[in-house]
Amino acid sequence: MANVLDLRRRIRSVKNTRQITKAMKMVSAAKLRRAQERALQARPYAQMISNVLESLVRRSDMYSDDTGDIRHPLLVEREEKNVLVVVIAGDKGFAGAFNSNITKAAHAFINGRRSQGQNIDIEPIGRKARDLVAKRYPAAVYEKKEEHYDNDLATHYEVIRHRASQIEVTGDHPTLLNKVDINEVSGLAHSIVDRYTRAEIDSVYIVYNEFKSVIAQRVVVEKLLPIRKLGSHEITVAEEMTEEQKEAAGHAAKSAGVSLTVPEESVIESEAKKFGTAEVDYIFDQAPEKLFRHLIPKYVTTQIFHALLESVAAEHAARMTAMDSATNNAGDMIDALSLEMNRVRQAAITKEIIEIVSGAAAL
Amino acid sequence: MADINQSGLLTVRLVTSDRVLVDTTAEAVELPSMSGYLEALYGHAPLLAELGAGEVRLHGGQSGNQTFFVAWGFVEVLPERVTILAENALHPEEINVEAARSELAQGEKLWQEAGDDGEKYDEANAIARQAEEKIASAEGHRS
Repeated sequence: MANVLDLRRRIRSVKNTRQITKAMKMVSAAKLRRAQERALQARPYAQMISNVLESLVRRSDMYSDDTGDIRHPLLVEREEKNVLVVVIAGDKGFAGAFNSNITKAAHAFINGRRSQGQNIDIEPIGRKARDLVAKRYPAAVYEKKEEHYDNDLATHYEVIRHRASQIEVTGDHPTLLNKVDINEVSGLAHSIVDRYTRAEIDSVYIVYNEFKSVIAQRVVVEKLLPIRKLGSHEITVAEEMTEEQKEAAGHAAKSAGVSLTVPEESVIESEAKKFGTAEVDYIFDQAPEKLFRHLIPKYVTTQIFHALLESVAAEHAARMTAMDSATNNAGDMIDALSLEMNRVRQAAITKEIIEIVSGAAAL
Repeated sequence: MADINQSGLLTVRLVTSDRVLVDTTAEAVELPSMSGYLEALYGHAPLLAELGAGEVRLHGGQSGNQTFFVAWGFVEVLPERVTILAENALHPEEINVEAARSELAQGEKLWQEAGDDGEKYDEANAIARQAEEKIASAEGHRS
């Protein structure tokens, strides 16, 4: 049996661990509150963009009068042969099953598409997503081709892609999550829009952790392109939280002072819903088609931006929950060890008394 | 509209991608629309316009004559309300002139390389124009 000193040492070490996990929980809770706030403040903009688009769609013809084609390439639906998957996970670990849930969902989706014979491109966001994806699948190979003409006065660059395998990683964005910035997201969105327009890809899905509140989140696969219905999220796969997870998350949130309720709609948000939809005849400064062409990429940007903000909030929530249960487990362990230590100490005392008593009896 | 006020002031909101930056009232709002600057006063006819690179200027009311630089945006003008959507909005003094200059150089480089590709040409032009406006806005504010 271990002696009292050993046990005391172990208890001290577990206590230290508990201190650390507790601190990490509080840090995550603070970050979560900030992330939640940010996601909330970003809502009016997203709402307005999709409103304007919707109202433009209602006012202008989606189909060209002369040719009968759909006016915007992002609304065109093609047979899904080449699929792009954007996987959003976290940058760091210690967040329970957060990262593994995402990668699990992503792999399930990728494998399903592979068995249908579709080509899949992956665009991981976050270090954890990149690490997992890079290990399994090769990176896409691009060749930059230069053409000189007009006696070298003009140069034309063209990037050609050589697809070597069915599943390839087309890029990664390790810094995107540090400080979710719309300009960086916009770069990614433009590259996606560009590829879709060139018909390099026929559809775009995004795998991320949706976040409504601490106890209402799920891992979803959402279809980003082609746009079928504006302003709505087209969820193809969703994995809800189990009751057990909800309880753990609820406990963590309560002890860290994070509110469980979904914040109510602010005045500005409800006014945002009316943006561009007044029942009046607007004067259009530009032709609706032209407005349309610029707005749709912005719409895609906000959709990704929104997914990123939610994912960041979800990551902090997951870390908070994981650290809360780690703290609880450490507490339980300390209790069990203290009990054992007391027992060992008592046994030693009892043994000594017996020795004294039996020694006295022998006299 | 139910909430028309008698003050003759416009309610102005500037909404950026991460928050509602400005929520105030003003007598007039200058807007850098794609086809040139326009000014909205109280009672303006309903209008939807895309904004290019340039300055949004608020005059009078509670706004205290604020100026913001926007690179791309969208505006809805109603008789008593102006709502501006912008991906980013900066105070002119916040503009990083050095960065803008390198953007301008980048735009010019793209312009050189664009060859006969119309789209790339437009893109390069847009970048250069945005950088030029940025510099003009920052410098105009300083002088």
